[in-house]
Amino acid sequence: MLVKPTKADFKVIGYYLGRISLIVAAAGCLPLLWAALTAEWHPFGSFLLMIGVFTFLGVLGIRLAPRHPKLDWSHGMVVVALTWLVVPLIGAIPFFLSGHFGTPLDAIFDSVSGLTTTGLAVISDLDHLATSLNFWRHLLQFLGGLGIIVAALTVFAGPGGITLYFGEGRGERFLPSVTSTSRFIWTVAALHLIVVVAALTIVGWLVLGFEVHRAGFHAINMFLAGFSTGGFAPQSTSIGYYHSAIFEAVAAISMVAGVMSFGLHHALWRGPRRDAIANLETRTILSTFGFTLVLTLLGLAATAAFTDLMGLTRQGFFQIFSAHTTTGWATISSTELSTWGGLAFGGIAIAMALGGMGSATAGGVKALRVGLTVKAVMNQVKQALLPERAVVGTTYYQAGKRHLTHDTVMAVMTISLLYVALYLLGAGVGVAYGIPLQEALFESVSASATIGLSIGVTDPSMPTLLQIVYMLQMWAGRLEFLALFSLVGFFYAAVRGK
Amino acid sequence: MRRLRLVVMTTLFFTVSGAVAAAEEISVPELITNSKAWSGSEVTVEGELVGDYGFRDDGWMWTQLNGDSYVRSPIRDGGQPLGGNTGVGVRMPTPVGVGLDPPGGYRTRGPIVKVTGIWKHHDPSRQGESYLEATSIEVVEPGQGMNQEPQWIATWIGLGLLGGSVALWRKGSI
Repeated sequence: MLVKPTKADFKVIGYYLGRISLIVAAAGCLPLLWAALTAEWHPFGSFLLMIGVFTFLGVLGIRLAPRHPKLDWSHGMVVVALTWLVVPLIGAIPFFLSGHFGTPLDAIFDSVSGLTTTGLAVISDLDHLATSLNFWRHLLQFLGGLGIIVAALTVFAGPGGITLYFGEGRGERFLPSVTSTSRFIWTVAALHLIVVVAALTIVGWLVLGFEVHRAGFHAINMFLAGFSTGGFAPQSTSIGYYHSAIFEAVAAISMVAGVMSFGLHHALWRGPRRDAIANLETRTILSTFGFTLVLTLLGLAATAAFTDLMGLTRQGFFQIFSAHTTTGWATISSTELSTWGGLAFGGIAIAMALGGMGSATAGGVKALRVGLTVKAVMNQVKQALLPERAVVGTTYYQAGKRHLTHDTVMAVMTISLLYVALYLLGAGVGVAYGIPLQEALFESVSASATIGLSIGVTDPSMPTLLQIVYMLQMWAGRLEFLALFSLVGFFYAAVRGK
Repeated sequence: MRRLRLVVMTTLFFTVSGAVAAAEEISVPELITNSKAWSGSEVTVEGELVGDYGFRDDGWMWTQLNGDSYVRSPIRDGGQPLGGNTGVGVRMPTPVGVGLDPPGGYRTRGPIVKVTGIWKHHDPSRQGESYLEATSIEVVEPGQGMNQEPQWIATWIGLGLLGGSVALWRKGSI
């Protein structure tokens, strides 16, 4: 029997949503401070409004709840799903009030895209945007990449914290408690922030010749977008703006750090390092990266898009690297990317669809699932070739030797198929609006796998329904479906339950 | 050596400036759309310089030239949101960039210029980058400051909500 949620259930959900709202309100103080320090008074008021809304809702949620609300699994999932709906909605306030968006939906689109670390954008005249607003765009990506819930759990955790943690699309907990795991994630991020921001500032100042404060501005924003594999950039020409291989190489460090699972970070820090390399996930992502890179370079060479080997290698490598890590920065224009056909298109599309590692800031199907799927398929082939009574067992190495069980295969296949369905959904809607299949598929995969590379379909003039579908894809792709289904189930029970 | 290179580049810059009339005048979107077709051609492109002026040690200054509707009417100055920016990278000898007004950004609309130069599509000497190598620059309109009115209504509502939150917190459980 379907049980109707009680008033108490709503209060528990409200309580946790409230606490998370207060954390986001605190994060919103950073761009407010930035606006005050740089005397950007136009966006200052909009940040104050956003913080006011987050704070008021936060306090209301907490005050409406019982003193010690108990969070169960379904509450946790609903809290996660609602958090990822409410935060971009309220976070879009400064965007809309900036005047850089034609409609509130456009502002919400960029907010969803930012928080889900996608990087698709419909913002107008980015090159004249206030620096504090630009910082907020990138900070949203950072918060989304690390996980708002992870941010919240670093500050508070209690019974049910584990539900919130897993609901946000994180599959592993490599330290005994959720709080210690969350703190480790933030420590990794903070250390990379210091190193990469310093390095990018030095490159921007001494190599690119920017004024030092501008070099710092670019460095902070590029790190926030790179580490979260988000793909926003402070200027409209993305990372191509810098015209510098050194800058791209340093920025790529943040992309590598972002695409690595935090479990791998932990293994590399605490050892044994050999185990980290032996993991199925690591070997899978290296293999698929190599495969898609070769495919793309061959495709580009065949079309003579580049006349020299260095150009072909640097540009081809960066685009595939950006696609596979699900970052979405580009060194070429979307117009040019749209002309990539044949193998080059295939290579970049496959790289985008496969995505990065699980429990990282990256999106897509994820390397471990790809590796396990290949193992399962090979297992089936072996089973078919051997005598009927033969028993074929398969093991894999992922933080220790494990057996590939039927349940694991089912779980992996289900999520992988859901991703494929999500890719096809957006492509189908795009095609229905008259967009050529190749372009519709590219943009749909880019949205679902939270990449952000665009070949021009994402634009303020795009159909409203397609825009909404892309937002749903980004949301579902980032949360890996579980929280989404729980939310649907919860509201269904609220309407039809007894 | 560096000084000699600067002198040669600047001399070349002003020598070639005399041949501006031969260059074809096109738009930035045209340059992006048909990038390969314009490769190696001398073109004149009008637009706003935005972002940063990057003065590099090799004697070149890099910036971005935008050729969209916001050149004449940026959003901060009442322009309508009509989509993303359209820009290309430009490099020019350092002495030329020194005298220009600050590039466009939040506070300013950058100088509107006519840049004449050679379009480099996937330049092999820069590992496949595409950009315009300026041989002359004509300032059409100097840069100008832009409107920065505070949003008073949003500010007061925000403060009101924060005040309400404090009151609600002090009230205790509802």
